[in-house]
Amino acid sequence: MVLWIILALLTAAVAAVLIMPFARGGKVVAADRTGEVEVYRDQLTELERDRAQGLIEPQEAEYARAEIGRRLLAAAGANADRQEGAAKTGKYALVTSMVTLVLPVVGLCLYLTLGSPGLPDQPLEARLANPGNNVALLVAKAERHLAQNPNDGAGWDLLAPIYFRSMRLGDAEMAYRNAIRLLGPSATRLAGLGETLVASNDGIVTEDARSAFEEAVRLEPDNPRSRFYVGLGLEQAGRAAEARSVFEAIAKDSPAGAPWLELVNQHIAKNGGTVAPDQSTAQAPGNPTQEDMAAAGTMSQGDRQAMIRGMVDSLAARLKEDPNNLEGWLRLVRSYSVLGDKEKAQEALKSGLKQFPSSGELVALANEMGLAVEGTTQ
Amino acid sequence: MMIEIGHYALVLALATALIVSVLPAIGARRGDTAMMALGTTGTLTVFTLVALSFTALTWAYVVSDFSVKNVWENSHSLMPLIYKYSGVWGNHEGSMMLWLLILTFFSALVAVFGRNLPETLKANVLAVQAWIACAFLLFILLTSNPFLRLDPAPAEGQDLNPVLQDFGLAVHPPLLYLGYVGFSVCFSFAVAALMEGRIDAAWARWVRPWTLAAWTFLTAGIAMGSYWAYYELGWGGWWFWDPVENASFMPWLAGTALLHSALVMEKREALKIWTVLLAIMTFSLSLLGTFLVRSGVLTSVHAFATDPTRGIFILCILAIFIGGAFTLFAWRAPMLKAGGLFAPISREGALVLNNLILTVATATVLTGTLYPLVLETLTGEKISVGAPFFNMTFGLLMLPLLVVVPFGPMLAWKRGDLLGALQRLWIFAALALFAGLAFYYVHNGGPVMAIFGLALGFWGMFGALADLWYRGNFSKVGLSVGLRRLAGLPRSVFGTAIAHFGLGVTVLGIFAATTFGTETVVEMKPGASVDAGGYSLTFDGMRDAVGPNFTEQRGHFTVSRGGVQVADTWSSKRLYTARRMPTTEAGILTFGLSQLYVSLGDPMEGGGIVVRIWWKPFILCIWGGALIMMFGGFISLSDRRLRVGAPSRKAKPVKPALEAAE
Repeated sequence: MVLWIILALLTAAVAAVLIMPFARGGKVVAADRTGEVEVYRDQLTELERDRAQGLIEPQEAEYARAEIGRRLLAAAGANADRQEGAAKTGKYALVTSMVTLVLPVVGLCLYLTLGSPGLPDQPLEARLANPGNNVALLVAKAERHLAQNPNDGAGWDLLAPIYFRSMRLGDAEMAYRNAIRLLGPSATRLAGLGETLVASNDGIVTEDARSAFEEAVRLEPDNPRSRFYVGLGLEQAGRAAEARSVFEAIAKDSPAGAPWLELVNQHIAKNGGTVAPDQSTAQAPGNPTQEDMAAAGTMSQGDRQAMIRGMVDSLAARLKEDPNNLEGWLRLVRSYSVLGDKEKAQEALKSGLKQFPSSGELVALANEMGLAVEGTTQ
Repeated sequence: MMIEIGHYALVLALATALIVSVLPAIGARRGDTAMMALGTTGTLTVFTLVALSFTALTWAYVVSDFSVKNVWENSHSLMPLIYKYSGVWGNHEGSMMLWLLILTFFSALVAVFGRNLPETLKANVLAVQAWIACAFLLFILLTSNPFLRLDPAPAEGQDLNPVLQDFGLAVHPPLLYLGYVGFSVCFSFAVAALMEGRIDAAWARWVRPWTLAAWTFLTAGIAMGSYWAYYELGWGGWWFWDPVENASFMPWLAGTALLHSALVMEKREALKIWTVLLAIMTFSLSLLGTFLVRSGVLTSVHAFATDPTRGIFILCILAIFIGGAFTLFAWRAPMLKAGGLFAPISREGALVLNNLILTVATATVLTGTLYPLVLETLTGEKISVGAPFFNMTFGLLMLPLLVVVPFGPMLAWKRGDLLGALQRLWIFAALALFAGLAFYYVHNGGPVMAIFGLALGFWGMFGALADLWYRGNFSKVGLSVGLRRLAGLPRSVFGTAIAHFGLGVTVLGIFAATTFGTETVVEMKPGASVDAGGYSLTFDGMRDAVGPNFTEQRGHFTVSRGGVQVADTWSSKRLYTARRMPTTEAGILTFGLSQLYVSLGDPMEGGGIVVRIWWKPFILCIWGGALIMMFGGFISLSDRRLRVGAPSRKAKPVKPALEAAE
């Protein structure tokens, strides 16, 4: 509403300025040539100066003087004949109404088609001060925080998977590397880094990625996801026998009916092995790389579930004893969410926020996981 | 709300400009003072509205309001503040806003300082300016609207093109546009005069300051752009005959011709038709340049976005204004009275020769710029017309012009004495040749032709001094009287001499830098040394660094001469994180007027890195000369005579103050 009032005032002010000359009334006059006369007078003095300096021959100067003189007379004569006709103010009624009409009509028609009168200004600072549930803003806020405190490992650790999911692979790699540098290697971080590298290389397990996965397996020997990528790397390197033994080992260690078994069996078959009969539902491999990637996506969720189920309870217990651990709370909330246990996730979030009321990371995570944030001080 | 007010102000500016484009012209025809007065107030209103709109956009950039699409596309919250300001015109939409702002600014200046103009002429000029403003307002609102919004707003912008994140962006486009768009005033004066069917010496005098101002800014803008390309692009060159550079160079050439032909017209009422034609052509070339750059026909660092509808829109503007002006010209020009006569050897004759050469040179550049485009459209064949073509054609054309430049101011009006001028100048010619030779021997190297090039540069400089020397008549009357005589001369005489001197300096710089410069491309490992231009450059090693929105690898170099360290510099390769775009930042060391230019290439295996080192002797003369020309322009602009003819008003300094327009 305020906007419309301002726009109306602006239009009215412009209209007032434009019709002012007509309100004052006008005259119909012949052209004023005073300025011209002045110019020619000045040219005559200039001619004198030029002649004094020898820039023009005396005879030529005489001719030039005559030329300028003729122009001067013509202009001065015309000026003397000027007549001022009386002006009728009445004839401006049409012009005035036209001016007052054109402004709002053209202005409104165009503005209503092009403008967005409903949208308020949104300076970034104000939005960051009150980010609400906007994940992108929370990420931006975290980024600013990290630009100021580049050694905040927990921040990088939090951002890395978000970057990965939104396919900002370059940023994800940087964030994982920073987290590993600052917080030390963990199986999750290394596997995340490995996956980022694989994704940025169109599904190829590069040298860097392979060493990340191998390190992850060393830290957590029974993580099927990291082991799978190690096998995939071997397969892509053409070392079929070694790859097969890795895949077979995963199949052997996995509980019956694990969601990733189908994929693993495919790779066993592809590398020349035989699949145990009760798990022979695998289909013939098509385009391996793409399918692998798609399947790896589904697998990672099941994998996480299995992985987390074991450790989640001990984490919750540990936090109950020592609640001053932001990273722990973050992980707990994430774990419950991934497991699909919304109620427990909500509960963990609440406890976490009680401990760290101003933690943007927790809020960001909550938004990302679709949890409601109550009673935050933000 | 500020943004929406800015948007509405732009729309309202269009409505106002529509009114101003019609009523004052009718008023001028009828001799109606009220309608003509509307031209002045209306023009000031349009300028105020556009300025308000531009302020709103700038504000959106400064506070990083990413709900504005244009801001989101071209800004980043972590960018240094100065780039948030300059980034406003670092993109297509914003640069058109700047174009419009400067156009309306010039209109406002005419409205404020045009009191000495006949009322009808002023009203017509303002109406024509308003037509141009209407066309560009429509163009901005319909095809390049910077006020379109995004809902929901993104959290972070996409950053400004890293090449543009430089101080140069803050200076180059405004100066260039002040020149480009300044010629619109000359165009409007020409069209207004044709509409009235009357054109005379007084007209030339009134147009002169606008031509001078536009020419001065364009000179500075081109020189600034050239220097920016030189230090930012990392190729060590300062002029590439790139179509976009040509687009700004053509109006400069035509504008230079206009500046000189208007002089003849003012003094002698000759060359009327030609001057009007030049005024139309100069702005047409500015419009053509805008079209070439903005339509996406050319791809370069300047073509921010490519969108065919924009190209077609600008093409229509181009067709309407250029076609319309030339039609008017064809219809009205025969009615203009021819002016005075003059002998071939005279000041007028020299200026005609200048015009002839400059126009042909403009045509050459135009051909070289458009030919590849036409050929590609017709046959699909891609060719590039580069430096060899321009050096052969444009270069050859310029040589005789540079030779005759010092003669012009020496010749008398109407009928000059060439022999006398030759006699007076031969000593300076000999001096110039001698200086060229001396320069050559000091540097000892390069082709023989370079001597003539250098001599040509000195010739321009000495010729300008000779003009002042004879004006003061120092040889006869001695120093003190001579100085007093000089003091009595109008300022435009000094303007001429200074600008011609600057031209000589630029020519000198061009020949010295191309003849004596060296280029070395070498792989260096830390500790390695290379000699260039008498200096020894040692590579100390690479280091990582982080800037506000980029990361960089910088190499450190120590420069020594005769075993003594004299300077050191950093040269770096940057990666702008938001766009993941690499740039090079050359290390440039200035020694007197010469520069040592160090640019990093690709790293090699084994710890080495490719380094390009240029020694550029006297390269600063090129831009220094342009600055001197600009200075000459301002001196001439301050000449009292340009303000003669303001009835009932004391002479007032021409001061383009923004607040004066409100």
